[in-house]
Amino acid sequence: MFERFTDDARAVVIGATACAERADASTVTNEHLLLALMEVEGARTAFALRALGITDRRASLEAALADARRRGGMTKADEQALAGLGIDVGAIVARVEETHGAGALAGDRKDRRWWSGHRSFTREAKQTLEKSLRIALGRRDRSIGAEHILLALTAVPGVVSEALADHGATYATLERAMFGGEADGGTAKAG
Amino acid sequence: MTEATDLAERAGDRDPRVGLRAVAALRRLLEQLEAVQVRSARNQGWSWQEIAAELGVSRQAVHKKHGRL
Repeated sequence: MFERFTDDARAVVIGATACAERADASTVTNEHLLLALMEVEGARTAFALRALGITDRRASLEAALADARRRGGMTKADEQALAGLGIDVGAIVARVEETHGAGALAGDRKDRRWWSGHRSFTREAKQTLEKSLRIALGRRDRSIGAEHILLALTAVPGVVSEALADHGATYATLERAMFGGEADGGTAKAG
Repeated sequence: MTEATDLAERAGDRDPRVGLRAVAALRRLLEQLEAVQVRSARNQGWSWQEIAAELGVSRQAVHKKHGRL
């Protein structure tokens, strides 16, 4: 699959690993893929993210992602579902942090030095890369570009797609911003 | 419009999606809590055997899952 990636897409994958390294995270997540994607200059993705106002609101987007991480990676939809069972995620996070320190539920701090050489992609991040392939195939595009990874990030359920949607970047708005009128070729709906 | 408000609207009408989503979220929360507690126990010098006994699983299971912590 990797051989079908464009240079931009490769830069995203490699950049995501570097991002995880900088954050001292033990795994490469969708969040790292998104941050790396936002670093790719001159691509269609950069224009679309700017057009949708995401570039200007990067700080707010990153804050939303950090907050979700602190809450154990729960999406608002997850929290709503748990609230339906009478489980208050906010209260649990507060209790855990009281005992184990701020950010305890975020977990992913790497106190595993000996493991440092290798960072694997999380299940969700792998899902995103697979989805980018399927999106490219659905659009009959010959290669997988950063734009397909970006669309995939909005289609894989989780904190990244939720934070993007909260900032106005959904599968539909991004598809329109990146492919405009020719969007009828691959109107595969986001899952 | 968002998934969250969508779910909130459905919460009243016994949509299996809400219940299933809650179970999946609970499972993820459980995993996070387990990791926090195991790490804390290890930091306080607990053996894998002691942790396993409290969790009600085998020592091998808990070591395989959290051994890298």
